[in-house]
Amino acid sequence: MANTELALKDAMSSIDGAIGVALVDYSSGMALGTLGGSQTLDLNVAAAGNTDVVRAKLRAMEMLNIQDSIEDILITLGTQYHLIRLLTGRGGNGLFLYLVLDGKRANLAMARHQLRRIEAELEV
Amino acid sequence: MSGDSTLARLAAERATGALHGCVGALYLADGAVVHAESPAVPDVGWRLTAGGRLSPESWDEAVEEGGPDYRAGSFLVEHGRLSRGELELCHLSALFDAAYFVLSPLDTTQRVPDRFLKEAKHWFGPVRPVSVPLLQREVRRRRCLLERAWPRPEVDAAPVVPVAGAGGAGRGGPLPPTCGRQAVLAAADGVRTPLQIARALGRSAFATLLDVRRLAAAGLVRTPEADLPGTAVRPARLSPPAPTAAAPEISLLYRIRDALEAL
Repeated sequence: MANTELALKDAMSSIDGAIGVALVDYSSGMALGTLGGSQTLDLNVAAAGNTDVVRAKLRAMEMLNIQDSIEDILITLGTQYHLIRLLTGRGGNGLFLYLVLDGKRANLAMARHQLRRIEAELEV
Repeated sequence: MSGDSTLARLAAERATGALHGCVGALYLADGAVVHAESPAVPDVGWRLTAGGRLSPESWDEAVEEGGPDYRAGSFLVEHGRLSRGELELCHLSALFDAAYFVLSPLDTTQRVPDRFLKEAKHWFGPVRPVSVPLLQREVRRRRCLLERAWPRPEVDAAPVVPVAGAGGAGRGGPLPPTCGRQAVLAAADGVRTPLQIARALGRSAFATLLDVRRLAAAGLVRTPEADLPGTAVRPARLSPPAPTAAAPEISLLYRIRDALEAL
């Protein structure tokens, strides 16, 4: 029964190496909530940009005629991981959680697991 | 724009009330926007019930029981119909959706709301207030997004006509509900406008508009001829505005009556 603010706080505090997290509406690319980030990482800009990533992947699947849904997308940078988790939005809008992790401190398997838990608490 | 400066002034004064006009209303509490209403977009209730998330009965119950105390939204959470998170997300995305069409009316002859009714409150109740600068920035960003997708505003109000043989419409098969563009294309029957499609699907009007612009850019949907603006715009003008122009005024009168009775 978490609200969005709590869910974002939960992500920042319970996931090792979390640098920033955003909850994004991918039909418009707008961040409905952000937490963390830094001067070099504007989460609102990242939200809009990563919406294109999600859209591109959905379209690629459409073209390949894959009848499945995306659970998450992982982008590995030199020093960071970016994790995109699509929420099974039921309020008529598609959303995703966008998590930026420090590559040195993060545990990817744990981060994915935690993100799945946070999603469940946010939606159910 | 005058609407922008009115809104900025109300925010600076930390005003509470409704900024309203023919194209809809923005509700403020303490200078922050707590609700937006536009006859052009599916509202929270429509979104929640069209997708099957809530039954129309439980929505009506929340409006009837929670509405008079200005807390229909919280009523849904307290009675276990929605989680707090779901309520926030659905309300917030409906708020930004409606606010876009209030501050950036499709029909450019319509004016941005400039009348302010002090102390007016919305029956849904505050969920998560949005600051005025944030809202204005988002509206500007969305305007650019449309412009970048396909700089032909004439597709916004015209019936969406799929281009025969372009590959998109004829493909058939079950459509994954996450794919906005496909759902829009499937709902395009050559009669409905983007906003009517949004209503039929119970999804964001802005997102539908953006999908239609992208489909037009990709050549999957016809772009009306720019030199025939009459044919492009007229169908949309004829059908919705007649009831919608009056609707907010009536709902406003109801709210005033309710407020007076509550005194």
